Amino acid sequence: MTLLEVQGLTKSFGGVTAIADLGFDVPEGQVYSVIGPNGAGKTTLFNMLSGIYHPDEGSIHFQGREIIGLQPHKMAAMGLSRTFQNLQMFFNMSVLDNVMVGCHLRTGSGLFSAALRLPGVVREEREARRLAREALSFCDLERFVDQRADALPYGVLKRLEIARALAVGPKLLLMDEPAAGLNDTETAEMQRLIRCICERGITVLLVEHNMGLVMRVSDRILVLDYGTRLAEGTPLEIQNDRRVIEAYLGGEVQYAV
Amino acid sequence: MKRLRGLFLLTLLVVILPLLFPDNYYVTVVAVSAALHAILAVGLNLLMGYAGLISLGHAAFFGIGAYTSGIVTTRFGLDPWSAMAAGMLLTGTIAFVMARPILRLKGHYLAMATLGLGIIVQIVLVQTEELTGGPDGLGGIPPLSLFGWEVDSDLRWYMLMSAVMLLVVWLALNIIDSRSGRALRALHGSEVAAEMMGIDTTVTKTGVFVVAALSASLAGSLFAHQQAFISPDSFNFFFSIELVTMVVLGGMASTFGAVFGAFVLTFLPELLVIFEDYEVMIFGAILMLMMIFLPQGLFVGLRDLLRRLLQQQRAPAPAPVVPAGEDKHDAA
Ligand SMILES: Nc1ncnc2c1ncn2[C@@H]1O[C@H](COP(=O)(O)OP(=O)(O)OP(=O)(O)O)[C@@H](O)[C@H]1O
Ligand SMILES: [Mg+2]
Repeated sequence: MTLLEVQGLTKSFGGVTAIADLGFDVPEGQVYSVIGPNGAGKTTLFNMLSGIYHPDEGSIHFQGREIIGLQPHKMAAMGLSRTFQNLQMFFNMSVLDNVMVGCHLRTGSGLFSAALRLPGVVREEREARRLAREALSFCDLERFVDQRADALPYGVLKRLEIARALAVGPKLLLMDEPAAGLNDTETAEMQRLIRCICERGITVLLVEHNMGLVMRVSDRILVLDYGTRLAEGTPLEIQNDRRVIEAYLGGEVQYAV
Repeated sequence: MKRLRGLFLLTLLVVILPLLFPDNYYVTVVAVSAALHAILAVGLNLLMGYAGLISLGHAAFFGIGAYTSGIVTTRFGLDPWSAMAAGMLLTGTIAFVMARPILRLKGHYLAMATLGLGIIVQIVLVQTEELTGGPDGLGGIPPLSLFGWEVDSDLRWYMLMSAVMLLVVWLALNIIDSRSGRALRALHGSEVAAEMMGIDTTVTKTGVFVVAALSASLAGSLFAHQQAFISPDSFNFFFSIELVTMVVLGGMASTFGAVFGAFVLTFLPELLVIFEDYEVMIFGAILMLMMIFLPQGLFVGLRDLLRRLLQQQRAPAPAPVVPAGEDKHDAA
C-alpha cells in the first residue's frame, strides 16, 4: 500500500527552483531514501511534506488524504514526524522533558487543569513519562534521562531527536541526515536503529549523504538532481543506473553493500 | 513532594516573618508591595522566561485590572470581588484579542508591539477623564473584605497579599510541570520543532499571554483596593521595565527566581537612599549588567553555584549507579 503520494510538486525561492514537478510514491513499511547532491532540494522537500513550507504547485497525499495547507502540528496529529538536518533540540530542557514534549498529542490536559493540578493531570504525567522512557530506551538513551540536553555530545543528540520524533507515535518518520557528523561506530548504530524503527511498522523517509548507509538500509531510493527526479528504484538498480553514475555518483565510486 | 519543596520553604518564611517582627515597617509595608510585585513577576516570567516572549508593556494589564476594580466599585457600586472578576474578564479578553496579531511578531518587533500596547493603555487611562479621573487619579476605592473580615490593616494586607502570592506561585509551578508547561519551554527552545511535535504554537502563545495578563489584572485589583487611590503613573512604561528587570535579575525561567527578583528590587530602593534620585538609571544599569555578566540571573546563578559546591563536597563518594534525581519526576 502507498502511504505517501507526491505529484507534480514544485517550489521556488525567488529565482531558484528548489523542487520542480517532482513525483514519487512511498510504500508503507519500507525505508525509502532520497539522495542527491548539496542543494538538490531534499530538505525543501521535507519541509513541504511536514507543512513548514507551502508548495507552489502539486499535491501530497498522506494515507490517501491531501495534506497541503495543513500546519505542521496537524501533520503530526496525522502521524507524520521528523528530525532536522540542523539539530532542533529543546536545549533549555532535560532529555526526558524533550521526549515528553513528543508525547504532547498522546495526552490532552489543558492550561487550566494543569494549573490546578487536577488528578487527571497527575495520571497523564505518569503516562507521558512512561511513553517517553520507552522511546528513550528504544534509542538506547536511558542513561541520559535526567541530563540537560545542552550537556550532551552531538551523536547522542542525533539519537535524542529520533527518540523525540518516535514519542509522537508516527506512521511516517522523516529523517534528515541522521548520520551526518557521526563516526563509524555511531553510524553503524544509526543504521541498526533505522532498521529497528522500520521493523516496528514505521515507514521511514530518509535523506542521507552517507551512500554506504543508504545502500544498506534502504528498500527503495529516489535520486534528486536540481529538484527533479533523476532515477528511482532499489539500491541495486540505482547503483547500476547510468544517469545516476554520470550525474551524481561519479564513475569510480564503489559501495560496500 | 520534592516538587513543591521550594513552595513550602517560601510559605514557612511568609508565616514566620510577621510572627518575629509583627510591627516592622519592612514586613508589613514593604513586603506587601514585594509580594504584589512577585505576583506580577511570576506571571510575566511564564511569558518571558519560559515561553521566551518578551513583553515591555506588562504594566498595561496591571493597570486595566486596577482601573476596572477602581471604576466599577466607585462609580457603579459593585462589590470588590465581583469587580476583581470583571477586571480579569476584561483583561483576559483584551489579551486574547491582542495575542494573535502581537505574538506573530518575534524579537525586537514583539518588544516594540508590547511597548506600544503599554503606551496606548497609559494614554487611554490619562485621556478618558470622566471615567478614570485622568492624570489626577481615582480615589475612594473601598477596601476588600473576606467573609466579614475587613482587610484594613497593614498586617492583614500582608496576610492577604502573601496568600495570593503563594497561590500564584503554586499555580505557576503546576503549569510549568505539565504538558502545557513543556509546550511553553519547547516553544522557546525551537518553535519549528515544537510545531512538529504536535504543539499548536499559536494557541500555546495565546494561552500563556492570557494567563500572564490575568495574573497582572489580579495584582492590579489587589493594588487598587490596598491603595484606595490609583493614578496612571503607577502603570507607566517604567513600571513595565521594572517588572522585566525583576524577572531578569532573578533568572528567566525560574519561578522562585522571579519572586527573588521582585523582593530584591522592592527592598533595595527602601534600603538605599541613593535609589530615590536615580531609580530608573539603577534599574537600567542592573538590566545591562545582568545581561552582560549573569544572563542566567542572580537567583539561578547562586543556586547553581551552591549545588556545584555541595556536589564537590560529596565528590569523594563513589558515583551512584542510578542517575541522580531519578525520583524527582515521580513525585506528584
Ligand atoms: N528558505 C529558503 N530561501 C531561499 N532559498 C532556499 C531556502 N531553502 C532552500 N533554498 C534553496 O533551495 C535549494 C535546495 O536547498 P535544500 O536545502 O533543499 O537542499 P538539500 O538537498 O537539502 O541540500 P543539503 O544536502 O546541502 O542539505 C538550494 O539552492 C537552496 O539555496
Ligand atoms: Mg538538506
